[in-house]
Amino acid sequence: MDRARVVLATVIVAASVSSLRAHHSFAAEFDANQPVTLKGTVVKMDWVNPHSWIHLDVKNPDGTVTRWMIEGGTPNTLVRRGFTKSSLQPGTEITIEGYRAKNGANRANGADLILPDGKRLFMGSSGTGAPSDGPPEK
Amino acid sequence: MTIRVAGLGAITLAATLGFVPTAGAQTQPAAAKNAAAPKDAATTAKAPRTPWGDPDLQGTWDYRTITPLERAREFGTREFYTEEEKKALETRAGRRMDGPPEEIRPGLTHAQYWTDPGRFVADGYRTSLIVDPLDGRIPALTAEGKARQARAPNRNNAVNASWLDRGNQERCITYGLPSASLPTLYNNNIQIVQAPGIAVIVHEMIHEARVVPLDGSPRLNDNVQAWIGSSRGHWEGDTLVVETTNFNGKNNYRGSTTGLHLTERYTRVADNRLEMRLTVSDPTTWEKPWTVLLPMRPTEGELIEYACHEANLSMFNLLEVARDAEKAAAAKGQAPARPDPADDKQER
Repeated sequence: MDRARVVLATVIVAASVSSLRAHHSFAAEFDANQPVTLKGTVVKMDWVNPHSWIHLDVKNPDGTVTRWMIEGGTPNTLVRRGFTKSSLQPGTEITIEGYRAKNGANRANGADLILPDGKRLFMGSSGTGAPSDGPPEK
Repeated sequence: MTIRVAGLGAITLAATLGFVPTAGAQTQPAAAKNAAAPKDAATTAKAPRTPWGDPDLQGTWDYRTITPLERAREFGTREFYTEEEKKALETRAGRRMDGPPEEIRPGLTHAQYWTDPGRFVADGYRTSLIVDPLDGRIPALTAEGKARQARAPNRNNAVNASWLDRGNQERCITYGLPSASLPTLYNNNIQIVQAPGIAVIVHEMIHEARVVPLDGSPRLNDNVQAWIGSSRGHWEGDTLVVETTNFNGKNNYRGSTTGLHLTERYTRVADNRLEMRLTVSDPTTWEKPWTVLLPMRPTEGELIEYACHEANLSMFNLLEVARDAEKAAAAKGQAPARPDPADDKQER
């Protein structure tokens, strides 16, 4: 790597480390040491403030079903990013990768949402039609 | 790599925005022109008028940007990114929004579908939103400010005995000022509505509405204090100047107190740009005032209600987690573990 690239890389890292506090505390509620992968059926999605919640029925190895609650983004953000009330219908099979509640309750922070076709929500596509995809000149 | 002011790109951008540079400004990069003085922009663009003749600033304005509030120390006093740096930063931000994160760190890396922080460097290629002081950083705390900060309880070490141990934002009371006017993870929008003698500024972050008299109403008595203070406005040319005082001090913005004084200057610098120049002062907290320059662009939709207290399950859940931790620790004869505050920073 030539010197110019090293300098650029340093600048990018320096300019990107500004940290913002999330609106709600992750650490007070979820456990970074308890990653969970949940494959289940969407029961409903609560479009509520300040954060949405997905209710998910997950079949256990013994055949029983456990209902989980998955915390998601704020409705404002979801809508602006092109995710609407019709995007996740009851009965849809999805996979959630996230982190479980510290007290072992059946709740998780939804770090990632994988749709039935294997696509991760919005990933790999900048053309969602959401306003945020417009160029800055708009 | 040569360090230089972002000239060509900024001029191109300014041309796209429909600026009409004054004679003599053409030899100066648009980015530098923006920085020179607030009156430059105000005198080069004539704002449209309301039916009663005031400059018309009405609309819903989006201030998402990846430009940080404070400049990274590595940049020193360098005010502008180069074209190459701008592109690299926007590419990185785009990857974050559209692709899997480079590194998953629980709590640090919210899924991109959770957040809406923008993907563009602000107009003018600035390396920080803070334009004064020149190092682009919030000035040092006064001795009194430092002492106050040292006495402040560390909320993240709280045992979460009740909701009172959590911050006003988590409690959905208010995002506070100036926080509700500065870029954050989402809801980066304000709406301005005007009537003769009055302007209303609505903040999407926890849906605050500030009704700002423009009729010369005197400031409230110092004994009257509010979470978001009290605002009074007036026109200076085409610029709406809003002075906000009478804070109750409970928001503790970066250690500030009831002495917090905000001066916002809103100028329509182009058809599709509203510029906010915000000066923050509190002589008991910072050694000198500091100023932010934040360009805003029109949004395609309306402001969306953010009724934060509607279903603030996170508060219920974190208190439940705290009580369960106490029970589990008591059963073992130990003190409960505390949350790690480092888990709550969000990298953008």
